[in-house]
Amino acid sequence: MTAISTSLDLGPPARRRLRAPKFLLAIPGWIWFLAFFAAPLGLVVYNSFGTKIPGTAGDVSMDHLTLDRYRESLNSTFFSVFKTTMQISYIGTLLCFAIGFPVAYWLATRASARFKGVLLGLVIIPFWTNFLIRTLSWTIVLSPEGYLSHQLQSWGILGGPIHILATKTAVQIGVVYNYLPLMIFPLFVALDRLDPTLREASKDLGADPVRTFLRVTVPLAMPGIVAGLLLVYIPLAGDYLTAKILGKAKGNMAGAFIASQVIDAQNVPSGAAMAVILILLILGSILAVGGIGLAISKLLGLARRVDVVEASVR
Amino acid sequence: MTAVVVRRKRDWLSFGLGSWAVVVYIFLFIPIGFLIGHSFTKSSAFEVWAGPPTLKWYPKVFDNDQLTNAITASFKTAFGATIVATLIGSLAGITMARRKGRWTKPFLVLVLLVLVTPEIVDAFGLLRWFVSNQLQFNLEGTIFSLREGLLPLIIGQSLFSTAVVILIVRARMEGLDETLEQAAEDLYATPRRAFMQITLPLVSPAVFAAALLAFTLSLDNTIVSNFVNTPGNSTLPAYVFGKTKSVLGPDIAAASTMMLLVTLVALGLVVVVLKRAGDSSSDIAATITGQ
Repeated sequence: MTAISTSLDLGPPARRRLRAPKFLLAIPGWIWFLAFFAAPLGLVVYNSFGTKIPGTAGDVSMDHLTLDRYRESLNSTFFSVFKTTMQISYIGTLLCFAIGFPVAYWLATRASARFKGVLLGLVIIPFWTNFLIRTLSWTIVLSPEGYLSHQLQSWGILGGPIHILATKTAVQIGVVYNYLPLMIFPLFVALDRLDPTLREASKDLGADPVRTFLRVTVPLAMPGIVAGLLLVYIPLAGDYLTAKILGKAKGNMAGAFIASQVIDAQNVPSGAAMAVILILLILGSILAVGGIGLAISKLLGLARRVDVVEASVR
Repeated sequence: MTAVVVRRKRDWLSFGLGSWAVVVYIFLFIPIGFLIGHSFTKSSAFEVWAGPPTLKWYPKVFDNDQLTNAITASFKTAFGATIVATLIGSLAGITMARRKGRWTKPFLVLVLLVLVTPEIVDAFGLLRWFVSNQLQFNLEGTIFSLREGLLPLIIGQSLFSTAVVILIVRARMEGLDETLEQAAEDLYATPRRAFMQITLPLVSPAVFAAALLAFTLSLDNTIVSNFVNTPGNSTLPAYVFGKTKSVLGPDIAAASTMMLLVTLVALGLVVVVLKRAGDSSSDIAATITGQ
């Protein structure tokens, strides 16, 4: 704390600017992140090459560095948990997009300017409600003895109580609910910054609404679309609480499985190896999807460009 | 003729989009509505509704020592984490925008890594790091101990918040005209004076908004708090999470409803501060969601 206030007092002195490093005032930030983010993460990676000392509460032997934990992880139930995780993440991200895009589009192009702020606020409120609490609230909504269950039965829609809790479906609903606002915000910001005259110009030049949407709106909103997909996919794939609370044992996701390795099985090296695999898979899948997307847009661009080139050659 | 047809089509599209938005808004508020409703249930189980509505669970929150201790610990650590995150984050954010160099990119990568690493991995790492011997310089028994008291919680909660503060403050500084600060220096203001009298007032709405967001993020933090908590110091989310293995009582719903109000007040303040600073509602949404 004292270090911070003294560096603030120094300010960015003009004469000393040549001598003092440019990042002087960012040094506390560097220290904080290196000491409490990079170092712990490094320790996890290091421990993933170790061996659990049997009979201890999570002690790790680092005498022989080994890749065995990775091999074990890929052979065990963790592999199937991983498949479930990826399935829930992909479906969840796509569902968030399918549900969120029309809402963002409506907010940006149809909602009246007077109420836009309020309507946005209404998306922000659930997002800023405590994550644990809003996940727990779904156990009230979906409870077999709950209000919804009774109402649906009395209306004759359901023959018996709801049995969704502690299944994959519950986790799927939970993650879509929890991460949907993260999809709506960037999409809204991107669509809202789009100049409406561009759409009108496209219409005036003879494009039908579908063509205008696909050739003008979507390409211009692409940064927002990519941001939304990433903002939802990254935390979703690493989710722990939703799976733990709504899925119990059946809807297990990688994050929850890692935690149980560390806390219940007290097998730190295994948990560490799984954590490393999870991070690598999240990064790898983003790179893969990003690469495919880039290739497709390049191909589309080429396909479109051919006409122009041919026309100009002739 | 065609114009009429197009128009009608448009109206149907608007109607469809609007109806969909209503459905999604209902979806977004269903669990919150159920939670608030169930804080008034007569049943002793959290998820069972029994009327008529009763207010008895609200005073019961304050009779439960564990619950009140958890709420106190939550606020204490959130205050601590907010102070740390705001100080470190604002300095780093301002420096990133005004003293660009070769260091900026690696630092931004580090900040983004903090934001995208699954929280469970962070929590696991911090837990190992705090119990390992590398960081213990005989601090046991002091407030700087990483194995007792609130410090481990404050550190754990501050990491994500610091990264968020950095991005918000940096974005605001990038949007501010640097010529104002240069003018101050041309008019013989010392760099320190230029910083205190020009830079700080200009960036303060963003710093304040970022601090409030850091505060709500800290109150919200569950996973790291659950992993690094020390004996006798459990935050409210960590306490509730620990209780999920057994039956939850409606007092949890009542406590959660009160926490929701605190978050809403903080959010309202953010909006007011940013509005005063001249932001449009879409700018505010962008700031609040870290765009």
